[in-house]
Amino acid sequence: MNHFKLTWKNIVRRKSRFFFTISAIAVGIASLVTLLSLGSGLETEIRKQADVLGANLVVTPRGWCAYEQISVLTGETLPEAIPNADVKKIAALEGLTAFPYLTQRTALKNQPVPLLGILPAEMKQFKGWQVGQGRYLLDDANVVIGSGIARQFELKSGDQLTVRGQEFSISGVLQEVGNSDDLAIYMELATVQQLYAVGDKVSFIAVKVDDITRIDQYILDIQNVANVAVTSDKQLLKSVLAIVGSVGSALQLIAAVAILAAFFGIVNTMMTAIYERRREIGILQAIGSKKRTIFSLFLYESAFYGLLGGIVGVVVGFVFSYFAAPYIGQNEFTAFLGSEQSVQLFSAGITLKALLFSILVSALAGVYPARQACKLSPVEAISYE
Amino acid sequence: MNNPIIRTEKLSKIYDSGFRTVALQDVDLQIPKGSLSCIMGPSGHGKSTLLHLIGGLDRPTSGKVFLDDMELTSVDGNRLAEIRSRKIGFVFQFFNLLPVLTALENVQVAMMLAGIGKKEQEERATELLNLVGLEDKLQSKPNQLSGGQRQRVAIARALANDPEILLMDEPSGNLDSRSEEELLEQIAKVNGQGKTVVIVTHSETVAAMAKETFCIRDGELAVD
Repeated sequence: MNHFKLTWKNIVRRKSRFFFTISAIAVGIASLVTLLSLGSGLETEIRKQADVLGANLVVTPRGWCAYEQISVLTGETLPEAIPNADVKKIAALEGLTAFPYLTQRTALKNQPVPLLGILPAEMKQFKGWQVGQGRYLLDDANVVIGSGIARQFELKSGDQLTVRGQEFSISGVLQEVGNSDDLAIYMELATVQQLYAVGDKVSFIAVKVDDITRIDQYILDIQNVANVAVTSDKQLLKSVLAIVGSVGSALQLIAAVAILAAFFGIVNTMMTAIYERRREIGILQAIGSKKRTIFSLFLYESAFYGLLGGIVGVVVGFVFSYFAAPYIGQNEFTAFLGSEQSVQLFSAGITLKALLFSILVSALAGVYPARQACKLSPVEAISYE
Repeated sequence: MNNPIIRTEKLSKIYDSGFRTVALQDVDLQIPKGSLSCIMGPSGHGKSTLLHLIGGLDRPTSGKVFLDDMELTSVDGNRLAEIRSRKIGFVFQFFNLLPVLTALENVQVAMMLAGIGKKEQEERATELLNLVGLEDKLQSKPNQLSGGQRQRVAIARALANDPEILLMDEPSGNLDSRSEEELLEQIAKVNGQGKTVVIVTHSETVAAMAKETFCIRDGELAVD
């Protein structure tokens, strides 16, 4: 017999109470794990997307909000606002190359898919894309698709797809590059402008500069020829990460509320247990238990609840984030929270953090009841009917 | 009296929670080492209170309790718990076993609290339960045992740390006559090993085997 065995026997004596207490902790921890899991790969993912964009400067319309800045990195649909005339003026500047993007969205088999209007030759060179299947032809009747889209919708070169009622032939499938470029349909810019009736406008322009040390001068040059906002890739990344960080903090606060509810649940469970086991506390004292032993026994008990609830919560949290990620990724407002790429199916770091947090919170919840237990007088406790 | 193991001086216990009740008043008592003593008296006159004070389960309002020459009333709670664990064994009327534990584990708990290792706990608990005739009930929980068997487990638990003193509060109060006879045999056996046994009882049969009987009436001691 040891303290842990005694604790375990006391925990499982009331099966339903055991179950519900564990469930309360598990819900709190699962919500925490889900948020951490969905968000943990997020920063890496955003940095990766910034690399994928490959630009030194991003030219956007004036007055774009933070969400639109995020969308530049996540590839979400963006309003068209920069006219071709400005694109041409910027492209004509010396020492830089401009790559306009028109980001729209279409659907394949009723699932939303990004559709990007690009300048085919320039973009292929800029991105260094290789064709995995078919050929690289983008015009008013042909598109190319990323390898992820091909796999997900079982498409290959030569297949047809319909965008806004117009049939297009898939001329080729790009080689896998392991980022969001795999998950889009690419169409010639002018065709997208015509299909979506946006006139001669684009969403934003990625700019590659020849001399990175003159970046401030390039920004001034661009702003001299066009009425646009220019952000360096580093500034963009910084502001996007700040926004994502604050949203993440707000969501973690929600998880904290769930855990707080579990905290009071444990306090209640432990107080009930002490009330029911007053006589046994008296017996233990009569046969030689010190007050600190009684305190420890009840503290172990609440910490045990934390450990078990934490284990269940971690498993449920990871399973939930696995199934929730694709749905979250489909919503434009929550897409930046997680996509299949950013979700961590298992993370030793998150598991450890969540378990330690669960045990700590539960042990803290046990402090007050444990103090009450060890304050009981042995004679009063033993005489309790 | 030669060599008392338990001694009280002017021991009083007054409960005052809005209503003053004198449970014990100036009790001077000496119990010789190795004796078998009984404390008798009407219900509610302070017998159990006296036993609790002697055993360090409660603190007196005034007066002193000596165990050998150690004054129990002046030691702190932790030391008192150690004394209860090592020197005193308690047996109660309602057996007071832990319901989630088996007979073996109930005996082991007392040793666990005294810091004895698992292997030794198991060996000694088995030995003690054999001694009280429960060798076939080691894995039975209290609700699977009869009253007499539960009381024997309680005796085994009280003896777990080889205490010098065994304090019994109405040990036969919930037993039939056959179980009471078995209990008396156990008590005689324990006393025969040199342990001091103090029994609070209403039972004349139990009292008959005592070498010394004390009577408590209205919280005061009267030697019969």
